[in-house]
Amino acid sequence: MGKWNVIELQGLSRVYYLKSGEEIRAVDSVDLVVPEGEFLTVIGPSGSGKTTLLNLVGGLDMPTSGKVIVDGLDVSRLSEAELVKFRREKVGFVFQSFNLIPTLTAVENVEAPLAPTDMPKAKRIERAKYLLKLVGLRGKIDRLPIELSMGEQQRVAIARAFANEPKVLLLDEPTGNLDTVTGKEIMKLCHEASKNRGQTVVAVTHASYIEEYTDRLLYMRDGRITNEIPEAELERTIT
Amino acid sequence: MVLITYIYALKELKRRKYRTVINITGFVIVVATLVALVTTARGWEAATAEPLKDIGTDMIMIYSAPVVPSGTGCYIANHLFSFPFNQSNIAEISEIEGVNRAVPVLMHRMGAVVFTGIDPRETKTNAVLPGNVVEGRYLTSEDGDVVLVDREYARLNNLTVGSEVRYMKGMYEIVGLVDVDAANILKSHIYVNLPVGQKGLPDDNIGLVNIALISVSDPRKVDDISETLTRRWLGATPIAASDLAATTSGVITIGEEMAWNVSFTLAVVAVLFTIRSQLAAVAERSREIGILKAIGWSKSDVMIQMFIESALQGAIGGVVGCVVGCGFAWYFLSTIGRVSSIDPTILVAGFCVALVSGIAAGLYPSWRVAKLTPMEALRTV
Repeated sequence: MGKWNVIELQGLSRVYYLKSGEEIRAVDSVDLVVPEGEFLTVIGPSGSGKTTLLNLVGGLDMPTSGKVIVDGLDVSRLSEAELVKFRREKVGFVFQSFNLIPTLTAVENVEAPLAPTDMPKAKRIERAKYLLKLVGLRGKIDRLPIELSMGEQQRVAIARAFANEPKVLLLDEPTGNLDTVTGKEIMKLCHEASKNRGQTVVAVTHASYIEEYTDRLLYMRDGRITNEIPEAELERTIT
Repeated sequence: MVLITYIYALKELKRRKYRTVINITGFVIVVATLVALVTTARGWEAATAEPLKDIGTDMIMIYSAPVVPSGTGCYIANHLFSFPFNQSNIAEISEIEGVNRAVPVLMHRMGAVVFTGIDPRETKTNAVLPGNVVEGRYLTSEDGDVVLVDREYARLNNLTVGSEVRYMKGMYEIVGLVDVDAANILKSHIYVNLPVGQKGLPDDNIGLVNIALISVSDPRKVDDISETLTRRWLGATPIAASDLAATTSGVITIGEEMAWNVSFTLAVVAVLFTIRSQLAAVAERSREIGILKAIGWSKSDVMIQMFIESALQGAIGGVVGCVVGCGFAWYFLSTIGRVSSIDPTILVAGFCVALVSGIAAGLYPSWRVAKLTPMEALRTV
């Protein structure tokens, strides 16, 4: 029996209409399935629609047409309250610029997604500490983001993404601001999450070392996804 | 949820120190103004009403005085013979609706000495009351050629209980020394039984008085009664506590109602200012708001966050404003020599005004935050 498809994209399009009347097809008729526990990486040039694709999968943006089904839920048909619950329980985001709350400490940043849940405060803190320990930041839980290196900040962001044990981890250029060694550590963490916890990972990255961690590599250009990766892009990405 | 939003709110306020201080200062000004003005107004009102309260009356009607007196008995005495007022008029005053009681007083002056004739049966409302006696006894209605003398006047003239003092054409025995507050508008040197005082007037003035001390059933109707008195007895001058306040110079007089109005006007300004400031904060923090929404915070969670920040600023401003307001109230009241404890209700009201203003100031920015989609917010750099 095959694995359960956690993500299903059916004819997914996202069109932006400019004031000039021009339309931009950021995502154009994408069909894609991602089975449970797969580490999928999407590469492609800037402006090809990769981030928009992640936002659609994560329920941060709504498609113009087509369907986004995540863990059996049709994201495009969810109400506002259901979308909040979906983002809280089903997906974890890791952004290129970390996007930590600058005034909160590492442990408070990781606790933040748990705050709106019914979990008691003590348990939330306990879980946040555990996750920070998991990403190797045991001794730095009370530090502010500014007091952490960029690699450490991204580890906090990953711990935060793990907080609610999401089905899907969405990584938007997670190593974009990191050096190769740190970037590899981050990708390793995400890879382990995918394999050990059965989490499905969709990563958008330009990292050259991605092949070590990914199960499947797709190419995106002008809003469309293909398995055929141009030789030049492949050479640039995977060396 | 609540705890992290508080921690987050406090840290945000700390991060934006300058803006926070400005916002809080706005609330401090509102509350300090409210506490200082209302307390001062009340203290002032009490201070001006005291001379009347001391003699157990709500208002004094002087028959003849063409202008409001300056606050001393001498002025009233100076106008005694201008417009004589028959004692029978006192009974008529008593019958005016809203008047509980009218007590006759005759006050006049001989040289530098002010004499006052009183009805000693009136022991609750009178120019001098039994409680003012510090030595000897109070007058009785049977007393003839005896007087009460102001203690200070007695000291300056070496007079004691039992010694005699000259009044009009005769000598009178001092039966008591009295201590009357300097603020008492009817303070005199010598007090005699009313018929004795009237006997001392020229023949055609027998039975006359020139002052009525009036107690009213409802102090709020003092103005109405005052108007009735003026209409019926042209040339009569009713004096209430507010009139005394109006004639006192050197201190700004301010009513409590005006104090509240000024404070509410300032509160509106503070709210508008804070709204503007919070909107700027929303703009600056759009990306953070996007992150919070992306990690599963709902609109209401983010709105509550903004609310707490505004309310915290209001609450801090409220507490500091109460302290500052107390300081100003203490200073203002000390200038009129009436430092008293501040009504806790005013402090609670001041704090509530700041808190409600803070919450009100958070409404619109919170609504703006709620409207932002995670995508819009995250796109902001």
